[in-house]
Amino acid sequence: MKRRLLAVLTFAILLPSVSVLLTAGVGIYQHQRAIQAVARTYVEDLAESTASRVEMGWGLTESLFSAKPPSQFGGNRFFASGVGIPGWIAVLDSQGRVVMSTPGAQILAKLWQPQMPIGQALETKNEEGEAFTVAVYPAGATGLFVIAAVSWKELLGPMLRFGLLWPILVGLVGLAGLVGVYALWKAVISPLKSLEEEVSSLEWGKDLPNPRDEAAVAEIGKLREEFFHLAQTAIDRATLWKRYALDLVRVQEDERSSLARELHDGPLQDVTAMIQRARLAATAGAEEKGKALHLALLEEAAQSAVREIRSLCDELSPPWLELGLAGSLTELAERLSRQLGVKILVEADSGVAEDLSKERILALFRVAQEALHNSARHGGAQEVWVRLFRDGTSLVLELEDFGSGFDVPADLARLRVLGHRGLANMEERMALVGGILEVESTHGKGTRIRARVPAE
Amino acid sequence: MGIRVFIADDHPMTRAGLVATLEREADFEIVGTASDGIEAWRIIRETTPDVALVDIRMPGEDGVSLVRRVKDSGLQVGSLMLTSYDAKQYVMASLRAGAKGYILKTASPEELAGAIRTVAKGGIYLDAEISRVVGGQDIVPEALSNREREVLILTSKGLSSKETAGDLFISERTVQTHLASVYDKLGARNKTEAMLLALKYGVMTLEELIE
Repeated sequence: MKRRLLAVLTFAILLPSVSVLLTAGVGIYQHQRAIQAVARTYVEDLAESTASRVEMGWGLTESLFSAKPPSQFGGNRFFASGVGIPGWIAVLDSQGRVVMSTPGAQILAKLWQPQMPIGQALETKNEEGEAFTVAVYPAGATGLFVIAAVSWKELLGPMLRFGLLWPILVGLVGLAGLVGVYALWKAVISPLKSLEEEVSSLEWGKDLPNPRDEAAVAEIGKLREEFFHLAQTAIDRATLWKRYALDLVRVQEDERSSLARELHDGPLQDVTAMIQRARLAATAGAEEKGKALHLALLEEAAQSAVREIRSLCDELSPPWLELGLAGSLTELAERLSRQLGVKILVEADSGVAEDLSKERILALFRVAQEALHNSARHGGAQEVWVRLFRDGTSLVLELEDFGSGFDVPADLARLRVLGHRGLANMEERMALVGGILEVESTHGKGTRIRARVPAE
Repeated sequence: MGIRVFIADDHPMTRAGLVATLEREADFEIVGTASDGIEAWRIIRETTPDVALVDIRMPGEDGVSLVRRVKDSGLQVGSLMLTSYDAKQYVMASLRAGAKGYILKTASPEELAGAIRTVAKGGIYLDAEISRVVGGQDIVPEALSNREREVLILTSKGLSSKETAGDLFISERTVQTHLASVYDKLGARNKTEAMLLALKYGVMTLEELIE
């Protein structure tokens, strides 16, 4: 496409120039030829007619070349004026000496060469390089010769000059066109091409194109800069994403290892103890009292295992989430209230979240869980309000504390990379279920978090 | 005449254990067992037991829905929720659905038998472990005012302060004040405890809660 554009441009500029140049060239050549023919005929005629006069001995020998103004018909007028046509006539003897001449005909002596053909006009140049057409004619048997010449410069001067200027002008136009095409190629098409190549072979998120192309025009330079910034942004994103993924994996692994530890230290120990007690009870034999003791201890270990597994379940994914959002929030509030020593008040309008999907219940629940922990841990809040209500077409979970507050960062996602996962997690959870998270906080006054999902 | 008991639990070992435990009680008669909510509803309709022991989590239909179905049918069956979960919202949900009691699977055979007898007699039974969490000892609470009782009942039904305020034509703030007073009198720390304690002390009846 770009190559074709260049061709079109080159053609558009060159074709008229070349055709004008060619037409003008042909015209000028033809013109030159015509002028040459005219000049030849003219000098031949002039020389011939003058030769006839000389031959006829029209008695003009004196008068013809006298300096006096001509008064009678004949060659004298012509010779005397010397300007009817910018030409010269001279009569030479066989030795080449000038017998008679029109004014200024000294020049002819210089032009004349002995080997000049007789009766045939030809073009010649003087020492200054001026062009002349010269013809030599013998004046019958007188032994004299008439030589006539006309100066191209004077005869055709202005016409010739314009005629010669034309091709130069046209040539210049053509040249300017070529220079223009070259500049276009150098500053626009080539930079565009190289930019296109760079961008198409670029690995987004990895490579950077050249930020600058000195040869390119400003607009393309700007375009390149924009691409550079885009590529830069892609790299930043890729880096962020990588760290993000690493962080997710790390969190997952941390959670797994902590879960494994809890299972190992809790239920596993209890069940091991249960097995021991069961064996001891089985081998206690007739000793009824010892058997009862072992069984009592077995039950105790089992009770402990149940409690631990129950609390693990609650921690992992509370089964009571199936009771709906309002019930879950109440349960969470009561548990955290005891655990964190914070007053947590839940206000849920009845039936407000009844048709909420499981995913959304879980997401909102996790947001509340995280926010309540944050309020107690970081905000030092003594009282937190949890409200669940409908606001137009959305369902809003609002958590308001009267803690210390904090500076809300513009980009919550970046927080994760900095190790503050809470807010980032909350925002992601909401985004995943088509909701949004709004965070407002004022130092010394408290924080208000609103999780908003479309009401179903 | 003995107490006719039905057991619904999806875990076979638990079911067998329960049957074995209850068969030892002379006054109990096991009229049937089921492993899911749908089968359970069919057998309850066929046998109309005095007490139905219902697991909260079952395939088909969960325990809370089953209990609500039993209540709505008007059958003279006392539902006793039997579960592994100690979350009080389960207790709330069960009682609101019409269960007459809530007992944990870790309860002793004596406690279980006692709970069944209580429910059979038309009483309410709350698991000792849950009761223990709500208020340590049996006290006679200070009497609630009528307004306080109204506020407590509406709140226990799951209404927010705003809704309660709207129903009673009082301000939200007044609702909060009444609630605070109720908590204080019952020794509760929150709505759930207030409701459970009110039921326990007979300040509020199950009928008031579910009507």
